[in-house]
Amino acid sequence: MVQTLVGPQESGASKPSSSSGGAARRKEIIAIQGLSKRYRRTDPPAVDDVSLSITRGSVFGLIGPDGAGKTTIIQVLAGVVRPDAGSVMVAGIDVVKNPEGIKPLIGYMPQGLGQNLYETLSVQENILFFKNLRQVPEERYRLNSERLLKMTRLDAFLSRPAGKLSGGMRQKLALICTLLHLPGIILLDEPTTGVDPISRRDFWTIIQEMVSTTGMTVLLTTSYMDEAERCQEVALMNAGRIIASGSPEQLTAGLQGELFELSGPGLSQKLGMAKRWPGCESAAMFGESIHAMLRPGSQVDELVRQLDGAVVKAQRIEPGLEDVFVHMLAADDKTDLTSLAARLVVHQDHDDAPVFIDHLTCRFGDFTAVSDVSLQVNNGEILGLLGPNGAGKTTLIKMLCGLQEPTSGKAVVVGFDIRTQRWALRSSIGYMSQRFSLYGDLTVWQNMSFYAGLYGLTGETARRRLQSLVELLGLGPYRLAQSASLPMGLRQRMALACTLVHEPRLLFLDEPTSGVDPIARREFWNLVHGLATGAQVTVFVTTHYMDEASHCHRLGLMQQGHLIVLDEPARLISRAQEEAGPLLTVNADDFARAFQVLHAAFPTATLYGRRIQWQTRTLQQDQQKAAALLEQAGVHGRFAEIRLGMEEAFVHFISTSGL
Amino acid sequence: MNIQRIWSIVGKETMELRRDRMYLGLAFAVPLIQLFLFGYGMSLDVKHLKLAYLDHDRSSYSRDYLYSFINSEYFDLTTLPIGQRRADELIRSGEVRVVLEIPPDFGRRVAGGLPVAVRVYVDGSFPSRAEISRGYVLAINNLYNDTLRENHPEWDLPIQTFFSYWYNPSLDSENGIVPGMIVLNLMMFPALLGALLLVREKESGTIFNYYSAPVGRMELILGKAIPYVGVAFAEFLLMYAMGLYLFQVRFIGSVVVLFTGVLLYCMCTIGIGLLISVVTASQLAAMLVTFLATVTPAFNFSGFTSPISSQDAVGQFISKLIPASYFMEIVRGCFLKGLGFGFYRPQFLSLIVYTIMVYFMAWLLLKKRIA
Repeated sequence: MVQTLVGPQESGASKPSSSSGGAARRKEIIAIQGLSKRYRRTDPPAVDDVSLSITRGSVFGLIGPDGAGKTTIIQVLAGVVRPDAGSVMVAGIDVVKNPEGIKPLIGYMPQGLGQNLYETLSVQENILFFKNLRQVPEERYRLNSERLLKMTRLDAFLSRPAGKLSGGMRQKLALICTLLHLPGIILLDEPTTGVDPISRRDFWTIIQEMVSTTGMTVLLTTSYMDEAERCQEVALMNAGRIIASGSPEQLTAGLQGELFELSGPGLSQKLGMAKRWPGCESAAMFGESIHAMLRPGSQVDELVRQLDGAVVKAQRIEPGLEDVFVHMLAADDKTDLTSLAARLVVHQDHDDAPVFIDHLTCRFGDFTAVSDVSLQVNNGEILGLLGPNGAGKTTLIKMLCGLQEPTSGKAVVVGFDIRTQRWALRSSIGYMSQRFSLYGDLTVWQNMSFYAGLYGLTGETARRRLQSLVELLGLGPYRLAQSASLPMGLRQRMALACTLVHEPRLLFLDEPTSGVDPIARREFWNLVHGLATGAQVTVFVTTHYMDEASHCHRLGLMQQGHLIVLDEPARLISRAQEEAGPLLTVNADDFARAFQVLHAAFPTATLYGRRIQWQTRTLQQDQQKAAALLEQAGVHGRFAEIRLGMEEAFVHFISTSGL
Repeated sequence: MNIQRIWSIVGKETMELRRDRMYLGLAFAVPLIQLFLFGYGMSLDVKHLKLAYLDHDRSSYSRDYLYSFINSEYFDLTTLPIGQRRADELIRSGEVRVVLEIPPDFGRRVAGGLPVAVRVYVDGSFPSRAEISRGYVLAINNLYNDTLRENHPEWDLPIQTFFSYWYNPSLDSENGIVPGMIVLNLMMFPALLGALLLVREKESGTIFNYYSAPVGRMELILGKAIPYVGVAFAEFLLMYAMGLYLFQVRFIGSVVVLFTGVLLYCMCTIGIGLLISVVTASQLAAMLVTFLATVTPAFNFSGFTSPISSQDAVGQFISKLIPASYFMEIVRGCFLKGLGFGFYRPQFLSLIVYTIMVYFMAWLLLKKRIA
C-alpha cells in the first residue's frame, strides 16, 4: 500500500522520517522569530511578536479562535503577506527577502471549501491546470494523480465540474491540487471545517500518508480541538500571540492540578457555584457534565458537598486540549451565564411538543435537500442536528420557520401548521440565522430595540424586557457599544438576545457558533443550557462541529438530506461502539515508523497526533498481531482501548445507512 | 518567462470562458446588440433631418423654394444661412445632414422657364440614411416642380437636383457611425472583460493559486490576456461583418492594415482592463473604474461624436491620452479612405508605445501579495 512518492527536492532518494532515526535529529524546516503584522495602523496587530519552530516531517497545528492571527501566519509563510517585523525562514530561505524562492517548495490551500478550484472546470481539468501551472513532470504527475484520485475516490468523477461536487469532495480535490507537485511543505488554512466526516477521514488519511511516505511537513490552522489532537505539535493562539505550544501531551501534562468530571441531572444549574468555590481553579460545562480543575490540595469530595448532592458521579479524568484551552483563557472568568439565563421568563402556555415533524421532504428540481424526515422535539429540550455543509440542516430549519415551502409531508411547530399558519408561526418562534443578521453601526441596545419593534413591542414593556435580557445574557457592560466593534462571541450573544425579545418558547439556531472562538462558544452553550433547562425554552440547533454534539440532549445525524439516526449523544456512541467495535490505539516514540509498520498490516489505521489508532471488533487479536509487528521493527508501543468519538460514530452510522 | 506556464493559463481561461454564459454574452452578444441599436438608431432618425442652406440668389423664388423644405416635417432648419466654407464642416461635424446650395441665377431662370440645378450635399457616412435623405429631397423638389408646372405645363422639370455625398474627405474627419462604434465597442468590452480577469479570481480566492506558485507576474498577465485578445478580435470580426453586410458600410481600405491595427488595439484595451484588474479588489469596482476610464473618455474625446480638431485644448489633450483616438483614425481611414500603411505610421507607433506602457504598468503594479 505504501509506495514511495517522488517529491520535488528529495527526488525519492531518501525516506526522511524513517531513515533519520527519531525525532531528535530531524531538522527544523520553518523558523519564525519575532513576527509581527498589523494591517491598519488603528487596528490591533493581527500577529504580535510570534516565534515558532517546526520540524521537518511533522504535522503542526495552529489552534485558536477566528481573528487570533492564524491565517496571517500561514499567509506570511506562503509569501503572500509581508510582515512588519521579524524573520521567517522556510527550508533555509528567507521568506521576507525572497518570497518567490519558497514558492516551488510549498503548497497553500486557502480557507473555505475548495477555494482554489475553478467551478466550471471538471475534476480532471482542475488537476491538469495545476499540473501545468506548477510544471509537474509527466512521470511524477501520472504516479501522484492516479494514487491521490484513488485514495480520495474521486477517480469516478473525473468529468464532473468542481462546482457540482459536494463540500467534502471539493475539499479533497483542492487537496489533490495542492499536493500534485509534492511540495515539501503544505500550508492548510482550516482545511476540514464543514466537511462531512467520511471526506474528513479521507482527507486525514492522505495527509498522514504523505507525511509518512514523503517526509512532507504540514502546517494547518483550526479552531477545533478534535482536529488539533491529530497534530503532533500544536500552538495555541489568542489575540495575535502564542499562549502555549508543544505536543498535545505536553500541553495537557503542563496543567497544574487535577481535573474531575462531575455528572448528574441538572448539573448545569450548579456551574456558577462550582466556579466560585475557592478550591476550584476553573470549571466549565462539557455537555451535561462539569469539568472542574481543582487547585493542588483541594478535595473533590468537598466540592461535591458544596453542590448539594446534585453530583451523582465524580471521577478524575485526563485533560484534553479543550480543557487546556478553557483553563488558560477562562480561568479568571467567574460569571455564570447558565443560572442567569435560567431566570429568563418566557410564555409557557402549552404542554404539547413544540416541534412535530411528519415525513417532511423538500426538493429543488431533481435535488432532494431534505428527504422524508420525521421527528419530535420535547419541551425544554436541546435538539441538535449534526451534519456536514449541504446535508439539509438549514433547509429543514427554514421549513420549520415557515420560510421555505416543503414539497411534501407536514409539520406542526408550537401548535401552528408550517404551511397554512406561517404568520402566526413566525411571531411565536425565535430564529437566529447562520450569519446573525444585525446592524453593525447600531449599538447593542439599538439593535435589540429594533427587533422589539419588529415584533410590535414598544414603550415600557419593551424597555423592561430588553433590560432583563441584557442582564440575563451578560450584555450589561456592552449595551451602548457599537455592535461592529464587539468580538464575534458577544455579537452572537446579542443576536441570541434579539431572538428572545418576544419571549418565544422555541428557538431555532442555525449554526450559531460558526467562526466563534472556543471560549465564547462554551459561554454560548452555557447560555443555551440555562435557557433550556432553567427557563424551559426549547432549542432546535444545527452544527457541523462534532465537538458540539455533546451539548445537546438529543442529537440527529444528517447526511445528504436524510436523518440517519437520532438519539442521546452518549447512546449514539455506545451503539456505534457495540456495532463496530472500539478504537485500539498505539502510542510509540517513533510514531512515524510505527505507523508505517502498522498501516501495512491494518489499512484502516490512522495517525492521530502521535498515536496510531484503528477501529476493530477483534481487539485482542489485533493487539497481539500489532505488538508482534512492532517488536520485529524494533519499536516500543503501548496499547490502549479508547471510546469512540462522535466522528467515528457518525462515520459508522453513515456507512450502515446505505447512503 | 516560461511559455508552457503561459499556455497553461491560456488553456484554463479558454475553458472557463467557453462555459461562462455571462462572459460570452459580454464578449459577443452585448457589443453586437449595441452596434445594431446604435446603427439603426442613427439610421432611423428619418424625420427632422437637420438642414442648412447656402442661398447665392436671395430672391423670392429661392426663399419660396427653401420654405418648401423647411416647412416639411422631414427637415428642420438648424443653422442660419451659411457661407461656402462652413458647409462641409457642418456636415463633417454631424451638425447637419443636408445642405442645399441655390445658384445665383435661380430666381431669374425659374421665372424665365429655364432649367436650373440645385446642389445638394448629403452626409454620406451612413448609407441607408443618406438614401432616405436623398429621397426626401427628391420628393419635395418634385412637388415644387409640380406646382411650377401647374402654371406652365410646357416646362419640363425646371429644377434639377445634383447630389454629392460627403464621405469624410480627410483623415481626421469624422462620422461613419459603424466604424466609430467598432472603435468604441473594442474599447469598452475588451477592457471590461480584462478588468474582471484578475479581480474575479481575487474574489473567489483562486488568485492564491498564482500568488503561492512560482508563476512570473508577466506570465500571469500574458496568460490572462492572450485568450481574450483572441476573443476581442473575434468580436471585431463579427462587428465588421455586421457593418459590411447589414449596414452596407463602404470599406475601401486595406484589410491587412485594418486587422493589424485591430489586433494591436485589442491587446491595448485588454491590457488596460488587466491594469484596472490589478489595482482593484472587487468586480463591481473594476467595472465602474473601467467605465469611467475607458468608455466615457472614448465616447467624448476619440473624435466619435465631434472632431478632435474642433475641441478645445483640454479636449485635444485628453484625446491624446486615450488609445481610441489613434485607432479611430486608422479605422476611419481604412473604411473611408483606403490609404496605405505609411499614412498611419504615427498612429501605429503611438498604439505600440501605449500598449507596451500599459503592460509594463500592470507588471509593475501586480504584487503577488495581499498585504
